[in-house]
Amino acid sequence: MEELTSKAALCLDLVKEKNIEKAFVSVSSREVNEFNVDGGEFSLFRTLFDNALSLTMYNAGRKGFVSLNRIDAASIKAAVESCADVSESSPPDPAWDIAPKGENGDFVKGCPTPDIPALFDRSKVFMANIAEDYPAIIIEQMIIKHIKSKSAYQNTNGVIYNTVSGKNVVEVMFSAHEGEKSSSFYGSGVSIDSLDKPFIELGTFREDFENIQKQVHTTPLEGKFTGTVVLPPQTLGGVLYVLLSNFCGDMSILNGTSLWKDMIGKKVADEKITLSLSPLDGRVVCGERFTSEGFRSENYDIIKDGALNSFMLSLYVANKTGRTRARNSSFNLIMAPGEKPIAEIIKGIDKGIIVGRLSGGDPGANGEFAGVAKNSFYVENGEIKHAISETMISGNLLELVKNLRGISKEVSCDGDSVLPYAVFDNVTISGK
Amino acid sequence: MLNDLITKRKSEFHPGTHTELRAQISKNRAITLVSGNLTANTRNEVSGVSARVYKNGVYGFSSAASYDDDAVKSVLDAAKNNADFMDTHLKKQKPMFPPQESGSRFADTESLNKRELPPRTYIDFAKQLDGYISNTYPSLASRVIAIREDSMEKFLAVSDGYDTHFISPRSYVYVFLTAETKDGMPVELFAPIGGYGSFGENFTDPALLYPKVDELHAKLMQKREGVFAKAGLKTVVLGGDLSGMLAHEAVGHTVEADLVLGGSVAGHNLGKKVASDLISLVDFAHTAFDKPAPLPVYVDDEGVPATDALLIDKGNLVGYMNNRETAHHFGMKPNGNARAFLFSDEPLIRMRNTAVLPGSNKLDDLIASVDDGYYLISSNNGQADTTGEFMFGITMGYEIKGGKLGHAILDTTITGVAFEMLKTVDMVSDSMNWSSSGYCGKKQQMPVSVGGPELRCKVTIGGR
Repeated sequence: MEELTSKAALCLDLVKEKNIEKAFVSVSSREVNEFNVDGGEFSLFRTLFDNALSLTMYNAGRKGFVSLNRIDAASIKAAVESCADVSESSPPDPAWDIAPKGENGDFVKGCPTPDIPALFDRSKVFMANIAEDYPAIIIEQMIIKHIKSKSAYQNTNGVIYNTVSGKNVVEVMFSAHEGEKSSSFYGSGVSIDSLDKPFIELGTFREDFENIQKQVHTTPLEGKFTGTVVLPPQTLGGVLYVLLSNFCGDMSILNGTSLWKDMIGKKVADEKITLSLSPLDGRVVCGERFTSEGFRSENYDIIKDGALNSFMLSLYVANKTGRTRARNSSFNLIMAPGEKPIAEIIKGIDKGIIVGRLSGGDPGANGEFAGVAKNSFYVENGEIKHAISETMISGNLLELVKNLRGISKEVSCDGDSVLPYAVFDNVTISGK
Repeated sequence: MLNDLITKRKSEFHPGTHTELRAQISKNRAITLVSGNLTANTRNEVSGVSARVYKNGVYGFSSAASYDDDAVKSVLDAAKNNADFMDTHLKKQKPMFPPQESGSRFADTESLNKRELPPRTYIDFAKQLDGYISNTYPSLASRVIAIREDSMEKFLAVSDGYDTHFISPRSYVYVFLTAETKDGMPVELFAPIGGYGSFGENFTDPALLYPKVDELHAKLMQKREGVFAKAGLKTVVLGGDLSGMLAHEAVGHTVEADLVLGGSVAGHNLGKKVASDLISLVDFAHTAFDKPAPLPVYVDDEGVPATDALLIDKGNLVGYMNNRETAHHFGMKPNGNARAFLFSDEPLIRMRNTAVLPGSNKLDDLIASVDDGYYLISSNNGQADTTGEFMFGITMGYEIKGGKLGHAILDTTITGVAFEMLKTVDMVSDSMNWSSSGYCGKKQQMPVSVGGPELRCKVTIGGR
């Protein structure tokens, strides 16, 4: 760690020698140990050693950025020269800025020390559990890895953060098969800081394998109707990411195209919806501790009781538009749960679908979306009837979040987000 | 430019294994102007060396972020140790795949390395183009100019097969325009302009791009007055960019041999009719229609000389794309599809220049033959799964009424199942449209190109 800290200091010393007042640098090293399963068989064990230097400078307001994976003294010196060269080409913009000096920090996150034999053993047991409990499942690819990193962050205002972190990641892509019939593929994963539990019991693995096994035989929906959609945690996370990126992110606020640009403090969603970005939540593994600009990260509500509370703005766009910067730059999304079990909410649905995965185009700036409901089930008169295929849903994201029917009391935690099921009405559902 | 520190190390390759040793530098540069504000001006370089060792049916891999004699030794040893770990625990005892013809192909890289331009060149280009747009079209709600230039240089030494050294550069200018409808709703459209080659080679004068910007703006103005498509199964004319996307996403991935082993629909369709007689589909290596392919590949990262992979021949599924291991498994010939993105990535089966072959009809005849349908031109993304069911986001298209183009349509989505939808193709245009701006994401990223003619077929379209 000390070596990385001194390299970061060296880099900023070289920046200051060029009379550049504002800069920040991150110097890091990373080790990854990774097992791969392909086509249902272990295929590869790889060990990666990498470094990273990223330097951002505001040279009299002119931005330059370089990144490379060499951190020797000669490369650091070359990076400073290259970054200054890049910055010279930028127009000056006083909106670029860095965090003021505050409380420095040393952070230890997750499980920095890998236990490779235990990781491999857990992986083998996971494969055996899947084969035994879910015999129709074929693993297309599984990646099991431990990521260890050390990083030293410093800026020219005297901010110093040192971080050591480590986590295990399990990602699996799979489908179910019977003869020549197969389900659509599905991906599921978790980030964890402990190997105490069998992988099969983590996240939504059991539920996902079970659901996919029921999707080998599907029936296309006929016709078109306006109905209810049940979004399980993973689908919900994707939809909310697109919604918040489109209407609260840097780009749409900077260019003024966000339809929420004047909605701070106003209702944008059903009042039962509260969304926070919370990297410091105990259920998040290795969450962000500081932003790239050098501010200490804090949890914040982006939507509180249906009202827009904050945008997700960088310091630059905040300065540029006279708004407030976001209190962290993560996307560790947490949605407040409801009071009813999802099974009870489904019992109240007249006609709709459970959308296991939404394969859709990127919604435009107007919020219109359309996508294929993959890994999905038809619901009628409160009962889950059968798996479906060749079914599309469409609507408008801005309207969707106002048409909430309910939020489940159950939540799913994958180490990055904590999300319930959410159920929305008035969505166009069209089959063949 | 990379020095050759690796070919002389072949004597250290461990006997009884297949070994690949690869040094690589990947560079990219990004400039982004958002309505005149420079939000990105970046330069990135990642380099190092890696080794992969195959033994008894398992691979060991290791990489290091330095490139010297010590790093080469360390990755060779670590990759061997990792292969031994897997072999000891799994005992698969699979045989070695057949030896590959050996040789070498070293490109003339000297001239390519002199092409890097000063940072100001990129900024000035973007600002001039942005100035043209803001002056010519002041009523736009926003505009974004994004310049992206990337290159990868690889030095590869293999225990059997071709050793190689090459550089592959690519550069693009992306123009995003946003206008508002009468109701104040934003509508967007973008165009990628560029291809293989460095920025200096592809872009000499911003004014040469003005006609493409004018064309993009004209389409945006039509889209601004656009209507929602009507949902349902429709007869459509699928534009060349979309037929290329279909070739890659909906068919190409299902015939990658690793995904076949993972359960893709192609596993039980080899040798069977999967498309109309009018459809043939090829993954081109380096030359297509007597011209260089958009992103040529001459030797892959397993040392296999690249050749074209014929996948669908007049409607029949006739082949897969393989690496050396899967080619041995399926009794096929490897065509050079195993590629890695970064120095720290292992080679995976990847597409190269994947295209539906053109037919004999004219585009005008395709449109004239549709009584009630859509002409779909542009997409912003596409996905498909191993069943061949696909989804493409549509960003530009028109109604077809009575054989004539009607209103532009607003953003929508189309879907279908590739091996069913391709059987509905009854007209194929004689034109060929290539696009090489995209990355394919399959564990790692990879620059790929796609291409195709216009197709008349049936797809399900989303809408209101």
